[in-house]
Amino acid sequence: MSDTTQPLLKVRDLTVTFGSHRRKLSAVAGVSFDIFEGETLGLVGESGCGKSTTGKALMRIVEPSGGTIEIEGIELTTKNGKDLRNLRTRMQMIFQDPISSLNPRRRVKDIVAEPLDCWKTVEGAEREALVNDLLSKVGIDPVAHGNRYARQFSGGQCQRISIARSLAMRPKLLICDEMVSALDVSVQAQILNLLEDLKAEYGLTLLFIAHDLAVVKNVSDRVAVMYLGKICEIGPSDTLYESPEHPYTKFLLGAALEADPDSPIHGDVLSGEPPSPLNPPSGCRFRTRCPNATEKCALEEPQLVEIATGHQVACHYPLSTLARK
Amino acid sequence: MSQEQKLLVVKDLATTFHTPSGPLAAVGGVSFDLNQNETLGIVGESGAGKTVLLRTIMGLQPRTNVDVSGSVLLDGFEVVGASEKAKRSIWGLEVAMVFQDPMTSLNPVMRIGKQIDEILRVRLGMDRRAAKARALELLELVGIPSPAVRYNVFPGELSGGMRQRVVIATALAGSPKLLMADEPTTGLDVTIQAQILNLLEELKEQMKMSVVLVTHDLGVVATRTSQIIVMYAGRIVEMGSTREVFAHHRMPYTRALLEGSPKVSNPSHTRLLAIPGRPPNLLNLPKGCSFAPRCSFATDRCRQERPELENANAPGHTFACWNPLPVTQSVSA
Repeated sequence: MSDTTQPLLKVRDLTVTFGSHRRKLSAVAGVSFDIFEGETLGLVGESGCGKSTTGKALMRIVEPSGGTIEIEGIELTTKNGKDLRNLRTRMQMIFQDPISSLNPRRRVKDIVAEPLDCWKTVEGAEREALVNDLLSKVGIDPVAHGNRYARQFSGGQCQRISIARSLAMRPKLLICDEMVSALDVSVQAQILNLLEDLKAEYGLTLLFIAHDLAVVKNVSDRVAVMYLGKICEIGPSDTLYESPEHPYTKFLLGAALEADPDSPIHGDVLSGEPPSPLNPPSGCRFRTRCPNATEKCALEEPQLVEIATGHQVACHYPLSTLARK
Repeated sequence: MSQEQKLLVVKDLATTFHTPSGPLAAVGGVSFDLNQNETLGIVGESGAGKTVLLRTIMGLQPRTNVDVSGSVLLDGFEVVGASEKAKRSIWGLEVAMVFQDPMTSLNPVMRIGKQIDEILRVRLGMDRRAAKARALELLELVGIPSPAVRYNVFPGELSGGMRQRVVIATALAGSPKLLMADEPTTGLDVTIQAQILNLLEELKEQMKMSVVLVTHDLGVVATRTSQIIVMYAGRIVEMGSTREVFAHHRMPYTRALLEGSPKVSNPSHTRLLAIPGRPPNLLNLPKGCSFAPRCSFATDRCRQERPELENANAPGHTFACWNPLPVTQSVSA
């Protein structure tokens, strides 16, 4: 992760705005980050913070209204038509709802083969062999179950099929949008372990979007925390979880419940609810709920500033500097 | 423990649905009891029978195509077999329920104040003015800012967390002795979840209630309950005091639940304990232990004979397993 290596994905000032000029909603309001080859970046935040929209904008499933997205040095936002489709094979997305993201009228092996059929990369026996290989990699028996339909599988199995489909074109980057949040604990553990195995085997780079802090920490090398369309803190996951610098990160971690009766219940519970993105607060977006907010926070918007190697925070009063005073 | 009065005594409770594909044993013989002013957590994966158990305790099962056997004694009132009219006399006053989805458990075309009034007027026979005054008090109690304004809004104008607060206010309107909360925080964000859980705990102390908290999230039960029941395929597989079960669980399924969920305190890329397979089909349960097909310790006996709950070392801690984990087994923190 040194400065010399070129990031696989480079996002700068990405914005996504919905609605007409009268009612503008900035779902993503200027987000910048890099993902380096082979790493997993976790993206956490509460519902409505823009994490899924960020993921979709990277694939251009929703059109970004500004900013740049570079994958392997190639600018994605200006590409159209065939060029865009070509680039999209390098990145794939796995969605939250495992069952509705599979076509209910197609057989599983055809679902997995669809990307191959679109691009006509392999045909005939070779195609068959590749599909069988992908299905067995994710733990679905291609001979016994390959001819079934999505409805004949459980949620966990459907998510496995989604993974197999996303790997068919050998993508570099996999965007996982809440991929385990609809699953039960025991199935979630299977899928998370499978993802780690496949990541190593296929040399994948992951953007893992989720609201569950424990799940994100488990899979990520680095974590970015979003609040109301902006990244408020980004850093190596162990550092960020141990010594958060942004007050929002601290509250978010305090609210995450540990499955241990002896873990203390954190006294500080964040009061209130996130403001509407239609009418975000001036200055720092978190200031309306922040206990440390001052006048400066209302007037000046804090920018992401590096406070340790690889650890950036967007706050006028990072927690470590407060503690020193 | 014996001196304390038992608020709820459930004995051999079984709920079987008659489906076109045959009888489905959603709850297959469950016994437990609950003391006053105690919080009980019920955990398990989806399909374990947690919600059906809760609804059966309330007497909320459908009228047809269902068999309920066993007994539910709620503060001396036998729920199983009671008439609709008799059950109506305890709903809201003795026992109230907070459902999972705050979006659908409120009437979307009725102002929220009126929904609370309704209970106060119908159940407690208050007049209009007294009911409104009490409804405002309740809204204040559950932490709704400016209750006088919110009294007149529709549920659609509130956020999920606020709606769940309103649902809790309606549940508390009749000052029930037992509050049953079915996944009360599942659709909510973590910071809102923490607010709602704190609220439930405060209200429990304030109103001297007992609470049954059903959830699939072990983090929720760990710090908020004193007793815990682990359910699998319609049966209790382990129960006891929360501390005891977390520290000295004996049933392999409990371990799978505890060690299969990622923890914030663990370093990144910690390998999770994943058990193969998925919960069994309730229409076609295995003959012996329901967990045997997924269990790495299963023997022939497990596949043939169903284990009953037996006592562990600590009082009140029971588990159902032929090959339990050794006593010293503790949670890897």
